Amino acid sequence: MRFTRSILRALAALPLIAAARAFADGPYSSASASAAWQDNVTNATPGDGVLSAFTLESCADLTWLRDLDFSTFLTAGVASTADLCTTFSGLDSISAGPRLEIRHKIGLGPYAPLVSVGLEADAAAFSDSGRSNVDIAAVARFSQRLDEALQLVVDARVCATEANHEVYSGSYASLGATLNWDIDEIWRLSVKGAWRNGDIVAEYAAEKVPLYGWVPIDTGAYAYTGPRQLVRTFSEPFIAYRAKAPTLSWGAGVSPAIGRHTSLILEYTRCRTNAYDTYVNDLVSVGVVHHF
Amino acid sequence: MKRLAAAVLLAASLLTARAAGTVRVFTRDTGGRPVADAVAYLSDPDSPAPVSPPADPVAITQKDQEFSPYVTPIVVGTKVVFPNLDNVQHHVYSVSPAKRFEIPLYIGDSKETIVFDRPGIVTLGCNIHDWMVAYVFVLSTPYYAKTGADGTAEVSGLPPGRYRLEVWHPRAGTVGRDLVVTESSDTTQVISVVLKPDHRIRRAPDAGGADYK
Repeated sequence: MRFTRSILRALAALPLIAAARAFADGPYSSASASAAWQDNVTNATPGDGVLSAFTLESCADLTWLRDLDFSTFLTAGVASTADLCTTFSGLDSISAGPRLEIRHKIGLGPYAPLVSVGLEADAAAFSDSGRSNVDIAAVARFSQRLDEALQLVVDARVCATEANHEVYSGSYASLGATLNWDIDEIWRLSVKGAWRNGDIVAEYAAEKVPLYGWVPIDTGAYAYTGPRQLVRTFSEPFIAYRAKAPTLSWGAGVSPAIGRHTSLILEYTRCRTNAYDTYVNDLVSVGVVHHF
Repeated sequence: MKRLAAAVLLAASLLTARAAGTVRVFTRDTGGRPVADAVAYLSDPDSPAPVSPPADPVAITQKDQEFSPYVTPIVVGTKVVFPNLDNVQHHVYSVSPAKRFEIPLYIGDSKETIVFDRPGIVTLGCNIHDWMVAYVFVLSTPYYAKTGADGTAEVSGLPPGRYRLEVWHPRAGTVGRDLVVTESSDTTQVISVVLKPDHRIRRAPDAGGADYK
């Protein structure tokens, strides 16, 4: 019920998109498809809870742009994502939501820095309905080309999520930086690092104990006083629990251009959360993105 | 009397035509491949030929979020318009010393006609789509041509004399040589240029969503 209300709230933003469509420039559109492998999709500490998963993802978005003055633009749009987890069907999901952003270019030309602030909202429906959620994020971005080949991008984000199961609700703030290096006309190398602080959800194999019911095998889970939830997403019963902890992530990617509208993307990212215990998640993804 | 005058004019024009030399310029890179979009121009520094800009403006269009043509040679005083044939707005600008201007966001016909009143190389850009780039080469000589895909440009109508032939390309800069044009000149000059890597701003997308860069 709460999820339904949240979806209605997200849909209420659609008239804003329609209004933007009426007087703006575009749409700019893109679509992407990728395959990702996570070695720790449960975000568990080492032991019985670690499960890996393979996910196919497709995204599409539309963006309209309206100039406010010579160098300031309002953009509005919609973005959608569909995830198909070949390993655990409970993680299959679709999501969609509006985007609103103000961008300002400080100066003229490709080397002028670009700053933007915006709002994003997404309603996501999972096969495992307890995970279905609505999230709202405030985002800020700074982009600066250092020369023809190097570009620095700094992203900041504050996000709040409300899910059907309380354990999947929460909030976080993050700050990241990406350095893109265009080696030549085809090849781009990227390195990135990010810091995130806020709620994380870890899942660990559970066992049924007389009088106590289902409890996590990982005793470290008892260090957290946040909500817990028995989940049936995986092949065995798991307990999801929520903790507040900082996460550092870093990674690298290579992105060859296929023509002027399309790129292949191969990325590796390692996330390391340090809380009562350490949660490490490695992600490898390969995909293609196309701008129409 | 009128017939005599007409005959004199005809003879004079024939003489002038015969007196005009032609120089073909074949521009190639270090691998021997033809180089397109190079501007070949001849000038006589001791007695510069006057230039007369065309009455109608030259058009540099924007289509599929690219400028076309990539290189446009014109003479000083030429008017240029920038029709936008895309369904998205462009913001055409130049910060080159030879011509600074800015045409804020528009679609369709160019809001402004820009007169290029100083010789030099003008780099065009779009402040929305950073990968868009084009060049206007503003010349103070009437004797010029741009190489096609076959790397060849033909400059004709050259009065006899000593000239400096120069070839310019965005990725090669300028190379040149001196030559003499006679009444019956019809020569081909082969110019080799060293092309630098094409370091334009990348247009191909990254992992982000639909975007302007």
